[in-house]
Parts: sequence; structure tokens; C-alpha cells
Amino acid sequence: MRIDFTINGIPKTVDVPENMPLLWVVRDVLNMKGTKFGCGQAACGACTVHIDGDAIRSCSFAAQYAQSKHITTIEGLSSGEKLHPVQQAWIEEIVPQCGYCQPGFMMSVANLLDKIPNPTDEEIDDNITNICRCGTYYRMRKAIHRAAEIKSSQL
Amino acid sequence: MEKKSINRRGFILKTGVGLGVLLGVGVVACGPLRRTIAQKVDEGGVGYKNEYEAYIWFELQQDGSVILHSPKVEMGQGIFTALAQIAAEELEMDFNNIKVVHATTNHGPIDALSTGGSLTVSTLYQPLRELASTMREMIKVNAAKLMGVPANTLTVKNGEVIGANAKLSFAEIATKSTDWHLKIENLVLKSKKDFTLIGKPIPRIDLVPKVKGETLYGIDSTFPDMLFGSVARPPVFGAVFKSAEAGNATNMPGVVKVIIEDSFAGVVAKSRVQAEDAKKALKINWIMPDKLVQQADVEALVKVGVGKDVIIQKEGNTAILKNEDTFTKEYYSPLGAHAHIEPNGSVAFYQDGKVVVKMSTQVAKITRDDVAKALKIDAENVDIQSQYLGGGFGRRLQTSHAIEAALMSKSVGKPVHVFFERTEEFQNGVLRPPTHNILKAKLDANGTIEALEHHTASADVAFNSAILANIFKPLSSSIAESLVGADFGAWRGGMIQYKNIKNYSTTAYHKELPFQTSWWRGLGLLANTFAIESFMDELAHHSKQDPLAFRLKHLPDDERGRSIKNVLKAACEKAGWGKSLPEGRAMGLACSIDVNTPVAQVAEVEIKNGQIKVKKVTCAIDPGIIINPDGVKAQTEGAIIMGLSATLFEEVTVKDGLATPNAFGYYPMAYLRDAPEIDVVLLSSGDNPRGVGEPPIGPIGAAIANAVFNLTGKRLNRIPLQSHIS
Amino acid sequence: MKKIHSIAFMAAFSIIILSISSFQIQDETALKKEKSLDSFKQMLTVIKHPRCMNCHPSDDHPRQGNDRHVHLFNVQRGKDNEGLAAMRCNTCHQKTNNPYSNVPGAPKWHLAPIGMAWQGLSDEEIGESILNIKTNGGKNLEELVHHMTKDTLVLWAWNPGKGRSLPPLNQAQFAKAVKDWADNGAAVK
Repeated sequence: MRIDFTINGIPKTVDVPENMPLLWVVRDVLNMKGTKFGCGQAACGACTVHIDGDAIRSCSFAAQYAQSKHITTIEGLSSGEKLHPVQQAWIEEIVPQCGYCQPGFMMSVANLLDKIPNPTDEEIDDNITNICRCGTYYRMRKAIHRAAEIKSSQL
Repeated sequence: MEKKSINRRGFILKTGVGLGVLLGVGVVACGPLRRTIAQKVDEGGVGYKNEYEAYIWFELQQDGSVILHSPKVEMGQGIFTALAQIAAEELEMDFNNIKVVHATTNHGPIDALSTGGSLTVSTLYQPLRELASTMREMIKVNAAKLMGVPANTLTVKNGEVIGANAKLSFAEIATKSTDWHLKIENLVLKSKKDFTLIGKPIPRIDLVPKVKGETLYGIDSTFPDMLFGSVARPPVFGAVFKSAEAGNATNMPGVVKVIIEDSFAGVVAKSRVQAEDAKKALKINWIMPDKLVQQADVEALVKVGVGKDVIIQKEGNTAILKNEDTFTKEYYSPLGAHAHIEPNGSVAFYQDGKVVVKMSTQVAKITRDDVAKALKIDAENVDIQSQYLGGGFGRRLQTSHAIEAALMSKSVGKPVHVFFERTEEFQNGVLRPPTHNILKAKLDANGTIEALEHHTASADVAFNSAILANIFKPLSSSIAESLVGADFGAWRGGMIQYKNIKNYSTTAYHKELPFQTSWWRGLGLLANTFAIESFMDELAHHSKQDPLAFRLKHLPDDERGRSIKNVLKAACEKAGWGKSLPEGRAMGLACSIDVNTPVAQVAEVEIKNGQIKVKKVTCAIDPGIIINPDGVKAQTEGAIIMGLSATLFEEVTVKDGLATPNAFGYYPMAYLRDAPEIDVVLLSSGDNPRGVGEPPIGPIGAAIANAVFNLTGKRLNRIPLQSHIS
Repeated sequence: MKKIHSIAFMAAFSIIILSISSFQIQDETALKKEKSLDSFKQMLTVIKHPRCMNCHPSDDHPRQGNDRHVHLFNVQRGKDNEGLAAMRCNTCHQKTNNPYSNVPGAPKWHLAPIGMAWQGLSDEEIGESILNIKTNGGKNLEELVHHMTKDTLVLWAWNPGKGRSLPPLNQAQFAKAVKDWADNGAAVK
């Protein structure tokens, strides 16, 4: 099936089986490896991307639904050289360890801040349900609050 | 500067036009055996004996930068940063000019056995410094030649060799020097007080690429024109592949080839989903086990008194514990999963009798041998190229997928990528074995322990593992196991450290389960510490003594005992042990020592709607010389959260031969909402770095359980605690 | 006299006729109600099935699975019944069941509004809740029948994906039961 969409601002056309998860379109067809495979069951969040402004777990998003959508992956989260506030905060707090789950987390958090610019701890707990096995959660929480600060100071 | 005795090591030099210079060193490890092995492992003195040694390579580039080819892999533990700090310190160069990469097995025997055991920094610290200072001296000698002055008039600083009248950069020296066969004598290493990089909280060198999503992990690896393989894996524990027929798989969309090997069947297709779909159409004949494994079987096998018993520690006589008034308690922990987020995967390209495999592995060298054996080629023709690991935790000590990828690539003549589905990770990976501990003690009239016995039962960790087999090659695993005695992975953390007790002993019981269990971060450390430290708490409360004072009085006044006392005091002081807490809160204390690194933790908990909530953990850790304080803190925080997750929530049970559950979500783990505030206090004693990756996972289980007891009066003796609170 | 007679006769006749028809009407109403209740009983076997009940909770947490456990990951209703700010239903659920992730999907996957909470209600209360225009999303009977027989999310119950049990009636049987129930007066007690 031929599918057209925009990814990180660039129009793309792919020809893939209609139900191929968007995750594999991004990783295997477009060869963009920042979006990670963790479970394939929408249960860990490692594959989170933005589709038309929502945080979506791409392993559970069939390619056919990407038609005409605007997709953002971790590679497109920053604007050029300027890192996204979430990425800046992640660097300030030195969050990643193995780092594998982090793109998914940063995409989820970026989406949270779009919708709730200054989230409370409870809002963070309720909305960020990705899994990090290295246990970077303690730093992550600090980084989320810091990202909110950076983002609001840039407005 | 301080003179250090330098071990005789074989430095190896490789030079080539345009390549700059490569300098390597083998890291000699000692090999404790037989009766001493238990003591050695407990005291962290273990280096693995092997016919191979770990090799470190430096590459001085013509632009003056240095590439460090790390024999150990980066799985989040921050070793690339620590190794770069150690190297740059002795090389006297700009830290930002050092690049660290994974050595490939084509560099020779890069790693004796594995990345694991919290051993990387502690074992490489000395040889890496020696190698780096050798290289610095070689650069200095060549600079002297170029300048026409004696080398001893020169100093090296910031990537430059400086003389009275001139200076040369590393780049100039690398470009202009032709002869690197230099003999370096009277090597001196920097003394601790002169360190400018070691001890600094430099942000990890893989930080920015990881935040940008640029870091490539094993599963991200590709080759041009790569195909996708999917392997049918045993449906239940004990099922073995017998034969297969292609069925309709051959004609399904995208299928390139149905692969039927001696040990497995699978499909190679143009896309991953097509391979997955076609795999389901294969007709596989499995040799099924006579009886499907059930949870009751597991519980009957892992039990104190069942299986082979070995006394691993004995002091005095514990016969008085046979009396009826003996204080006896038991503790349990369940099967657990690694639940690393990057599933195991690899891509192999077989061409002209040689194969390259890119993957995440903690055992590059063992994987190389395994692939060579499976393909019936020499190990020299297999190149394992380690990539960044999306979590290790022991899961990547098993690498059968490399063989699958290599065989599939050979069969289709193109590169093939293979990976584990998440359900396969649970069912076909390896699990942390369950444990059962019984502790017995008798207190005298002063509330001092007169005698203490620890009985610890578990299943395979080191036993039946590729690592043990590799250490003792070519001996059979049963001979190897009898040489070792008890499974040192299983009883890790199980030795009594309260050596002021006159009479104590530890006995390990071992029984193999009908499915594979293996290494998991810290091995037996979490479960054994949970048992011992819960028991110490029970004894303290039973005799109405303060748990801190009770521990301190039973610790000896030797170096090891003092190091544990110091972390106990430091953690308690920082946490405010004994202070009054808000209503509904309580603290619990526990400590452990692993690879010579003592750790004490104070957990502060509350219970809300029946849920145990850990609000804060204060941890004191003494890992010796600290290369990077931020890295040590990160590892400590991570170990605490992973240990908290295992302690409160995680459990695999077995039903009809299936690991249950077999998916994230259903396998309950800590989420962001479960993470406590963590305060890490760093102590630093001695002249060498010790392990950090695993030691801080030790006390957390007992610290939480002890806090729950202080809060509720209820003693939780089974992990996961949350399942047993009500 | 004859006229009177005839009037009297007519009157008496009318009374007889009227009382007969009123008898008939009463009888028919009872019959219809019985039929409607019977249909409602059939409908309840579907309504109370996990496929339907899981998305009509009385709290803010959807249920999932044949055992109706609380939805994993602390998933919550949110302001618009479509989840929280960055943890929306569509974070994981798309327009169709996903054959690879096995995550179920249908157009506009969402929770029934809290007014339509069924969990913990008696059969009668469920019926009243369905009929109450204030809580059922403003649906009259016709719209209600349409929702229960044509809504894509309701229809999903008969195509729930691997590992999810089907309601005891098939979709045609359920649609017929709903229609019969409505046609016979939408009785719930």
C-alpha cells in the first residue's frame, strides 16, 4: 500500500503492507533508529512518536493510518541545532544510563508539556507511563520540572 | 608523581601508514580456585582465569585525538566515561579528545569473559593507567627526538609536549614520528593528589548522542540490503526442536526462504512483519517434555534442605542452634525477569567463509566461539562487533540469536537481522532463580548473637552458564561445578559479615530447575541480603535493641567491618535515623557488602490505600577511589529503583510450562510514580576503585521490609512485598 | 321507543365493544411489556459482558480483559472520556484492532461517559440508566437503538481481536433483541 505522510517536516512516500506498524516503517524502511522497539505491545513506550500533536506508541499504529499525517520522531524533536527544552533538561540532569528508553520518554514528556506546560508531580505520574529499566526515574522527574521551566522561559 | 610497581605486561604495538599508532595491553587476571573461590568471590578479589585476557587498545590518531577501544561494553553503567577519565588523566590530554568505542573481536581476545560482576573499572583501573602513561612517555620520547632535546626535559600537558623553548601537539608528533618501537622504562603513575580528571563529575560522554536519539544499539544495527529473520522458539519450558516443514510459509508475501536447521526453524523475509507472519505458518515438531512444569515443582525444588548442600562459611560451632528455643525465620524471593527494554537482536553477514555479527552482548568472546562452532569455521573468521546495550543486567550473557542470524545469513547469502519478541524474552530468555533462606540464631543475656546459621537455597546462576564453562574449559560442567563447590552466583551476598559473632555458618543448597535460570544484576545479592538483613532486624526488635546499634556491635573492627560500619553511620546520620517522622511514615535500615563495596540504605515508607510507597531512600556507599561521582550516584540510584521494583512488585510464576506473565504491564514493574527521592552519600576509602554497578542493589529489599515492619508491626518475609501486604 | 331501544342498544353495544377492546389493549400491553422485558434480559447478557462492561466503569479507570481487571498503566478517563492530556486512548488504540500489537481498536475509542456507568448497578438500574436522556448522552429511544446496533465502538464487541471472548449473543441476535425491546416499549422493570 502506498502511503504519504510528513515526518519531521519532510514529505515521504512509502509502499508497505497496510498493517505494518509505523514503528517498522520508521526504523526499517526509513532507517531512522531513534524510535525504539521495546515490546511491540504498546506497553513500554519506547516507540513513542508524535502524530498530529498526540503522543502515539508507533508499534501499535498501522501504517495505513499514517496517510496524510504529520509525524515527529526524536530526530525531529529539536529544531535544527537547538535542542528541545526536554532534551536540554535531560542533559542538565544527566538522565540517561543505557539510554534505550529515553527517546520514547522524551517524546512523551514533550507532548505532556505541550498540553500541560507546568505539570504537577501527580500529573507527571499519571501521564508518563513508559518503562525505564535502568531506573532513571528520580532524575527524570527533576528533568521534567526543569524542562517546564526552560520551555516557559523561552515563550 | 609516585612510583608504582608496574606488572610485567605484554604491550603490543601496531603501526601503519596513516593509521597513527595502536598500543595494546593484556589485562592479566588471577584465577582463584577450589576452596578459596568462595572467599575470593565474597571479597571481590575475583578476576577470571582464562587462556585469554582482556585487551585494551589505544589508537593515537594523526589529528592528536585518541581512540580507546574498550574491551568492556557500555550498557548504561557509564564505564566509557570512567575509562576515558582514567586514560586522559595519565595521557595528560584534553578529555574531549578521547573517543571510546567498543573493541571488536577482530582486535584479538578483547575480553576474557564478560562485562559484568561490577568489575570493569576495578580491574582495568591499573592496567589502563599503565598503558596510558606508557603511551604518554612514548609520545614524549618522540617529541624529544623531533625537538632534539632530552626527553627528561619535557613535560606533557593538555595534549602538548612542552620544552623550554618549544612545544609540540600530539597531532604534530603523531604525524611526524615514524618509529614507535620505543622502550619505556621507569614508568611513573600520577598520585591521587595530582588527579585533575579522576574524581570529577564529568557528564557521561554518551550523554548528548543518547539525548538526540543518535546512539545505535545492537538491535539498531544494519547492513545494506539486509533481510529479516524470524525464528520459531520453543512453546513451553523443556520443549526441544525436532524437525519442521515449511507448510504455507514459503508462499507467503515477502518470504525469501524458509530456513530449517538442525536446532531451529525460521523464515527470512523482506520485512520484519512478513517474517513474523510466515513464521506462524511453519509446521514445527517439538519434542515435548513428559510433564509440563508447574509453580509447585519450582517451589519444591528450591528449598533449604533440597539438593546439593555446600558449607561455604564456618566459624566456631553452631550446634546450640539445634535447641528448641532457637530464633528461626525464613524468607522467599520469586523467579524474576531481566525486563531490559532493548530485546535481544543481532544482524549477521556471512560472506566467503567469514561472518560479521553486530549486536548487544556482554560476552563478545564467548559469542564469537559459539558462532564459529555453529558455522564450523575458525574463531578468527568471526568478528563480533559489540554495540551499545539497551540494558544488560545479565540477560546478554546468552546470545544464541547470534548463531541464528549467522546461520540464516549463510543460508540466504545476504545479511539477516534476527530479534526476540517481548513474549519470547520472558518465555525463551532466562529468569532470575527463586530463593529460599532460613536463618537461625541464639542471643545471649546481653542481646548479643551467640550463634547464627544461614541456609540459602537457589537454582542455577553461574552453574550451567557459558561463563563457567568458559572458565573451566575443557572440563565438563559437572567437574567444573564440583571444583567450585557451591554456585557462587546464587549465594552472592549470602555470607555472614557480622564476624563479631563467635559461631556462625552459611550453607548453600542448589538444585537445577527444568528451565534455564541465570545471572541477574547482583545475582543472589538482593535476595540473600533481604534474608540476612530482615533477620538482623527481627533479632534487634525481638531483643528490643536499636537496629543500627545492634548491627554495629556485631561488625568486627577489621578493615572490612569498619567499612560497613562507616556506611551504616553515614546513611543513618544523613537520613536522620531515630528522628520523629510525620504520622504514617517509618524508616528501615539495611546494609551489605559486595565486591568489597559496602552499602547502607535507609528507606522511608508510607502505606496508602494498601500500597507500599517508598518516599525516600538515603544511601551511603564506599566504592574506593571514585572516578566519576555523578556516575556512581547514577548507578546507585538506578540499582535502588531496580531493586525496589523487584522487591515490591516483580514475580514470574510457572503454569503449564509457561512463564507467567509474559508481557510488560502484566509483569509489574516500578514506573515513574513509584520512584522515591534518593539521597546518595559518597564515601571514598582506599587506593583503588571497587565495583559500583551491583552493590547498591543489595540492601534495598530489606530496608523497605524493615520500614514496613516499623510502620505496621507486620513482617513481610516474601518478595514481592506488595503481593503479601494484605 | 324503537329509537330509544336502538340508542340503548348502541350504547350497550359500544360499552361492550369498548370494554372488550380495552381488555384487549390491557392484555396486549402486558404482552408487549413481557416481550420487551424478555428482550431486555437477552440484551443484559451482552451489556454485562466484559466487552461492553469494561468501558462502562463507575469510576475513572477502564477495565480490560475477560477478567475485567483494572486497565494497566493507570489509564484514566480524563475530562473528555478519551484519556488524560498525554496519556490518551489513542496513544495506544487506533481505528482497528492491531494484528501485531494485539491492541484493540475502533473508531473513536473512548470510555462511556460517567452517566453511563453500569458497573455495580442492578439490571433495572442499568436499564434506567440506558433510558435516561440526561445520562445517556441525550439519546431518544430511536437514537439509543441506533447506538446499540450501529455504533462502531459497540460493534467492536463482536470483533474484539485475539484472546478476547465474544458476547453470548451474536451481533444480529443482539440487534434484534434491542429492536424488539424498543418496539415493545423499552421495558426495564
